[in-house]
Amino acid sequence: IFHGFYAEEVLVGNLATMSTSERIKAIQKMPETMKKKRETRNKVLKEITKKSRHHSTQFSGCTQCLQGAVLSFQRFGNTLSEYFHLLRFWHRTLKIIGAEFGTSVLSYFIFLKWLLTFNIFSFLINCSFITVPQFIAAEPNNLSFTGLELFTGAGYFQQTVLYYGFYTNATISKIENGPSYNMQLAYIFTVGIYFVICFLILLFSMAKSFCRNFVNPQTYSGNASKLLCIWDFNITNEKAVKLKQKNLSTQIKEDLTEVNREVLNFSATERVVRIVVHLVSWIASLGTAVAACAGVYFLSINNLKLFVKGHKNDLESQAAMLVLPIVASLLNAFIPFFYSWLGHLEKFRTPGHHVYITITRNIILKISIVGILCYYWINIVSASESQCWETLVGQDIYRLVLVDFIFCLLGSFFGEFLRRIIGTTVCVSRGLPEFDIGRNVLDLIYAQTLTWIGILFSPLLPGIQMISFSIVFFVKKVSLMMNCQPPRKVWRTAQMTTSFMFLLFFPSFVGVLSVIGVTVWRLKPSEECGPFRGLPSMYAAVSKWIKILENYTASKWVVWIYHNLITSVLFYFILSTVALIITYLYWQIIKGRKTVTKLLRKQILN
Amino acid sequence: MGNKQTIFTPEQLDAYQDCTFFTRKEILRLFYRYRDLAPQLVPLDYTDKPDVTLPYELIGSMPELKDNPFRQRIAEVFSEDGDGNMTLDDFLDMFSVLSEMAPRDLKAYYAFKIYDFNNDDYICKSDLEKTVNKLTRNELTPEEVSLVCEKVIYEADVDNDGKLSLEDFQHMIVRAPDFLSTFHIRI
Repeated sequence: IFHGFYAEEVLVGNLATMSTSERIKAIQKMPETMKKKRETRNKVLKEITKKSRHHSTQFSGCTQCLQGAVLSFQRFGNTLSEYFHLLRFWHRTLKIIGAEFGTSVLSYFIFLKWLLTFNIFSFLINCSFITVPQFIAAEPNNLSFTGLELFTGAGYFQQTVLYYGFYTNATISKIENGPSYNMQLAYIFTVGIYFVICFLILLFSMAKSFCRNFVNPQTYSGNASKLLCIWDFNITNEKAVKLKQKNLSTQIKEDLTEVNREVLNFSATERVVRIVVHLVSWIASLGTAVAACAGVYFLSINNLKLFVKGHKNDLESQAAMLVLPIVASLLNAFIPFFYSWLGHLEKFRTPGHHVYITITRNIILKISIVGILCYYWINIVSASESQCWETLVGQDIYRLVLVDFIFCLLGSFFGEFLRRIIGTTVCVSRGLPEFDIGRNVLDLIYAQTLTWIGILFSPLLPGIQMISFSIVFFVKKVSLMMNCQPPRKVWRTAQMTTSFMFLLFFPSFVGVLSVIGVTVWRLKPSEECGPFRGLPSMYAAVSKWIKILENYTASKWVVWIYHNLITSVLFYFILSTVALIITYLYWQIIKGRKTVTKLLRKQILN
Repeated sequence: MGNKQTIFTPEQLDAYQDCTFFTRKEILRLFYRYRDLAPQLVPLDYTDKPDVTLPYELIGSMPELKDNPFRQRIAEVFSEDGDGNMTLDDFLDMFSVLSEMAPRDLKAYYAFKIYDFNNDDYICKSDLEKTVNKLTRNELTPEEVSLVCEKVIYEADVDNDGKLSLEDFQHMIVRAPDFLSTFHIRI
């Protein structure tokens, strides 16, 4: 008892020396009953008040001020986080989905909800800084509105805030000599700062996800962790629980008999045949991707003639505008079926391999289609003779986003609803379909990539995507509940979530940044429309502004920062070196900790 | 903040906030869920710290727990008397550990206690057999169950004493990143 008492004194002493947030975290993490935690907390608080009474004269005013500031900041943070709970919409829906289908399917819906909040945030920023001021200085719209504009994005919408071309390059001011709003600077700074914030948010989310879920892929194996960590406590539906138990027993039985199968050694000819089959499938899949890109490219070049030749505005030319997005979406919808058929042909060692390889091929396809479209927009459209090439690009992206959304809904209808009808009436052996998590997440990432590219050319696009994601969430949820069955095979949720977050960051966001970078620095804006008309490049607006600022002494520091930090190559060189050094240090620390853990473990055994 | 609730004193709410991973609003919401199980037993005024314990039958009938094969063990592990009868403190503690904010080590500690059916601080073969039977609804034959348990012990036992200690279990959890999201009940 004395030993326990002494240990507790040490614990209380340790906790009393920590900062408030660390102390709260340490108490929360204690594996004790609530009563014990409360007692410890009260003891620690008594200790702290005792100490502060003793040392109140010793602390200088500065430390006390700092502590008071930190405390009030933390209290503010607490109240703010309570208001953030407004963002806990759909909590009940997510609970119901998790209850019946488990964590793996739930991860798709959580990702969709995260992207939706992201788009709400983008919409608020872009709308308030770019669109709302433009409304004040809007020119009247003389075009007529027919319903077809909702699909083609052309016609009436060309002269609205939806597209880049409508924005003025003037300085807006309602009152004479009153506060003015420079639209050029606002446009470029809003888009720039928005992308920087996005970069930081994505980086932190990815790091957090990586930290929580990273597992050395070599060490993931074995039945032990499968058995004791596999029960999904989220599932609370009776039928789903029974189904999961049945799946588990089937899986365990399979595992027990599969022990013999792993020992099979393939003969030399069989190995060669397998390698050849793999090679042929990869060539086939890459070939299809290249063919799809070529098709999209030639179709888009043909399409350009339609726009540049002048507006006919009849039904035929309007419909012709939709051909490119429909073809792109059809390719995105049907080629993955071809890939999974290829995957069935090549017999993989484990079903996990099959899933990864199919997802990789889908990623390559989507990246190439987006890549070829970006190449077309940057090189062909910007150099064309159209009046306002940015608006053309904006319209293209609007149509792509819209048609992709419609195909997503149709895919849900055909893929799940009809499949269920076929599975229950005609071919009962196939049964209910399963929710294809990988494909659906890749579709979301594709849609988000298009939105990010389109923000520069069509600032209201996040708002449209917001509405589309909400509808997709609702439709997918209804389709899931009505038509699908819970997944049978194990889906490594944590690793897949981390990989999807990484995919969102690395090819998707970084690619978008490069496209936007090239557009802002290299391309010449159109002469007659948009906030950057007449300038040699969009970036020239910033350099012009800095030149004007040089004449005012009050803003010399801004000019100094611009010349020495933002435009100097040396600064970025130093920044990258520092980042590399920090990364190397962290890597060494992690390696060191692993060695220490190994040594301690050896000591435990002996 | 303007919360005019009279169920807890501000000090009690602060203590709950510091000891669990919940915010004030969530603690109040959980209190109402606790009270809904037995409105006649649970008073609306906790300022004088009443000693109210709800029997296991009521806890086990919650929609979040009623179909979980381990519900009895969960209630026993988190209850003060080890019988599954829970006070409000135990109730909050349970959902705090099972929430998504709880760190991996804390969840591993309690998961270990849940799977340790005989409460001897080790998961021995009989504990594992009970676990497997609960996981598969008794559909495996006793030989298959025995074989699976032997495999698990063979793979996970680091100190070679024929049973799994907390360290073995935590070592195993590190290799299963899905554990954080599966050992989670949304309420």
